[in-house]
Amino acid sequence: MRRTMLYLPGNNPNMLLRGHLFEPDGLVIDLEDAVSASEKDSARVLVREVLRRGEFGRCEVTVRINGLDTELWRDDIAAVVSCGVSGIRAPKVESPQTVLDLDEEISKTEEKFGVTQGSTKIFCLLESARGVWKACDIAAASPRVTAILPGGEDLAADLRTGRSKEGTELEWIRRMLIVAARAAGVDALDTVFPHVTDDEGLRRETAFVKQLGFDGKSVIHPNQIPIIHEIYAPTEREIETAQRIVEAASAAAARGLGAVSLDGRMIDAPVIRRAEYTLVRAGLSREKV
Amino acid sequence: MEINAAKRKIPSLIEGYGETSGKLYEGVFARAPHGYRAGPKIRTAAPNSGSKVTGGIKEAVMASGLKSGMTISFHHHLRNGDFVVNEVIRACAELGIGDLTIFPTALFDVHKMIIPYIESGVVAKIMGSVNGAIGKLVSNGELGTPVVLRSHGGRPRAVMSGDVHIDAAFIAAPAADRGGNISGRTGKSACGSIGYAFTDAEYADVVVAVTDNLQSFPISPVSIPGIYVDLVAVTDSIGDPAGIVSGTTKVTRDPLRLLIANYASKLIEASPYFMDGISFQTGAGGIPLAVTAYMKEAMKRRNITGSFGLGGITGYFVDLMKEGLVRKLMDVQSFDLKAVNSIASDPNHIEISADWYANPWNCGVAVNMLDVVILGATEVDMDFNANVNTEADGALLHGIGGHQDTAAGAKLTIIAQPLLRGRIPCVVERVHTLTTPGEVVDALVTEFGVTINPRRKDLLDAVADFVISKQIPLVPMEELAARARAMSGPMEPIRVTDKVVAVVEWRDGTVIDVVRRIEK
Amino acid sequence: MEANAIKTAQAGTLESMDCLVMITEWSAGRLVEVSGGAVVRFKASMEKHINDTLDALGTDEPLRISVQDNGALDVVLGARIEAAYKRYARLAV
Repeated sequence: MRRTMLYLPGNNPNMLLRGHLFEPDGLVIDLEDAVSASEKDSARVLVREVLRRGEFGRCEVTVRINGLDTELWRDDIAAVVSCGVSGIRAPKVESPQTVLDLDEEISKTEEKFGVTQGSTKIFCLLESARGVWKACDIAAASPRVTAILPGGEDLAADLRTGRSKEGTELEWIRRMLIVAARAAGVDALDTVFPHVTDDEGLRRETAFVKQLGFDGKSVIHPNQIPIIHEIYAPTEREIETAQRIVEAASAAAARGLGAVSLDGRMIDAPVIRRAEYTLVRAGLSREKV
Repeated sequence: MEINAAKRKIPSLIEGYGETSGKLYEGVFARAPHGYRAGPKIRTAAPNSGSKVTGGIKEAVMASGLKSGMTISFHHHLRNGDFVVNEVIRACAELGIGDLTIFPTALFDVHKMIIPYIESGVVAKIMGSVNGAIGKLVSNGELGTPVVLRSHGGRPRAVMSGDVHIDAAFIAAPAADRGGNISGRTGKSACGSIGYAFTDAEYADVVVAVTDNLQSFPISPVSIPGIYVDLVAVTDSIGDPAGIVSGTTKVTRDPLRLLIANYASKLIEASPYFMDGISFQTGAGGIPLAVTAYMKEAMKRRNITGSFGLGGITGYFVDLMKEGLVRKLMDVQSFDLKAVNSIASDPNHIEISADWYANPWNCGVAVNMLDVVILGATEVDMDFNANVNTEADGALLHGIGGHQDTAAGAKLTIIAQPLLRGRIPCVVERVHTLTTPGEVVDALVTEFGVTINPRRKDLLDAVADFVISKQIPLVPMEELAARARAMSGPMEPIRVTDKVVAVVEWRDGTVIDVVRRIEK
Repeated sequence: MEANAIKTAQAGTLESMDCLVMITEWSAGRLVEVSGGAVVRFKASMEKHINDTLDALGTDEPLRISVQDNGALDVVLGARIEAAYKRYARLAV
């Protein structure tokens, strides 16, 4: 589940140690924009030590590294992949080649530190028009890619506009990314809602991206987490239907039947998967890993 | 050396306090009162005198008959804006009156001005909570005799039972008239309720109202009637409004505090007390105030209305009443401007005395009507004992406030506190100073979840559904303590000397603990 | 004058749960100084962790290490010591 992935500034011990207590589905430890140029080295050491300590509750732990256009990204990967993070969030992914370069570096690092090959996933931030345009190719470039995400400020600038509260400039991009993500079989995760005290605005935007099909949002402030979870929480009726579907499916499987029908409707694999996911979101069953 | 019922070592004789045998803590409700109330001297107002105004503070001190070695009292409703304590002590010094015992409801940082008078012997003894610079002075053992810490209820109990006799009470009065009627509701130094001053007015041998707002006789409504008041001193200003009340009280956005507050409010919602007529006290701290905000949501969602809010009242509570979520406010201390304005205008906002609020030895103490209280603590130990008096380094930090009283009175006592403040854990093996025994603490709420006192099996059962639906993460005390230890590492002990710098009384007047001077 | 410039490096901040570490060259041995609210209860373990971290980095240079602590746990303290030392070691002699 990736309804909420909370950014934690990489040089802030307080948030690095406590972020998981707010129970987001995932953490994004940020070595990029949240860390000033002069503190990159110090933050990397801190993040490595905190990752080694490894107390993050049930959160999926990822790290946003510095861009592949910097001198820093290889050191970032070396420091965090060795600690066995779930994923690398790569900024400014422009093309499938960026993914291949990352993949190669991660593979080398996994081998060097005895981390299971392929276990480190890649989350691609598409922060330019080029990146967005190639979204599907990027998402399909490596089996490590597990999600694509639209950028915020950088993307708006590349489009020669600015960010608006209504998200007009992102509207078409969000629609495009969801198609690309589904075509490539990866998650689509939305960008942050930067107005941290505007709970109503967050509610509106989350409801919108959820309806588009997004699996979740990046989160900039812990107080946003319960709001997003609430919107992603299935209704009682959805839960009830999901429970009946899952029960019918398992009953059919027990009798060795492939196809199932419920209330005169055929239930196939995608419907069952959706029902299972609904129960996970409702906190009634654990995610299958 | 004696050992009291809370297993704390208490010296048999504490210099400046007295023998402790017969005064040792015996248990939360073990000590019952007997006999009759103490009383002040009977006085009369001179016939046809027309006015009790005697000039300024100095003239009033002279007229009061105050002599060296006497006990004088003050209230702390003007908080960190108060001028009255400093001015009265200065006047005493100028008049050559010394060796005084001061008996404030609390002292604040603003009162550090009296430090030279402590050093020169004008003030010999302090009975009341001490903060800031004076707290440090006391912690360092620079006051000849120990301070005596009493709860908000323990203090009026000590007065009405005769443990403490007040020779003269100097009552800061935001509004007064020539007949000595006093109110805190109006004037440039308005502070709302003056509940802490009531007992002093009733039991002191001489009572002086100190005001910067003399109104024509009679004022109304009256908080303390002139029948108790001997003299009125008029001065330019009794306090700095900026230090008296804060402008508005806003609920914190600090995510960690909100997380803790959310867990605490879920605990309340899951408890058997969450039903129509619920009463609660949450004070003005960051976490408790946020609990109130979450409770407001829960009360609306579940269509529940409360009966009363108690204790120190904030604007947030006033809003709850205006929205119909609580019917009444019982206010011993008004924390902000909104609370001050509300108590001045709304008859459902009731001014109560500290006696009414918290004194265990009267027939109608409000804390006994209380369902839920949210408190803080610097330390809580494995037995749920709480310390609010000393800091991690063993120095005096806070008074007791209403901690003991509300914990003893409320049906559900919750301490809500981050497990770690920096590296310092709040859960420890054994509290350095015992303020409130674990017998009357029902739950500890931290960022790691809710820890319920195993004594409260009923509460554990009541919250079961919330635990299953993951709204309340339940953490046993052992696990919480282990977590704290794992994160912060082993703590070195606080080294103390034999010198007692403070006596902590349980609300019934027995000695529950002492604070010893830290070794240099 | 330049020849006498004191070699010094620092890392960390004074934010809550962090610490500011300053490492300077020293005449002989290793001097560890810690200050802050937690020192009164954690002095020995903080000093030990600082020494262990420096030993693990393989240094036996004479160093003066000053730590202004604002509630750093060992994991943070160690990271700041390491970052400060690596900065120090990169400085030209």
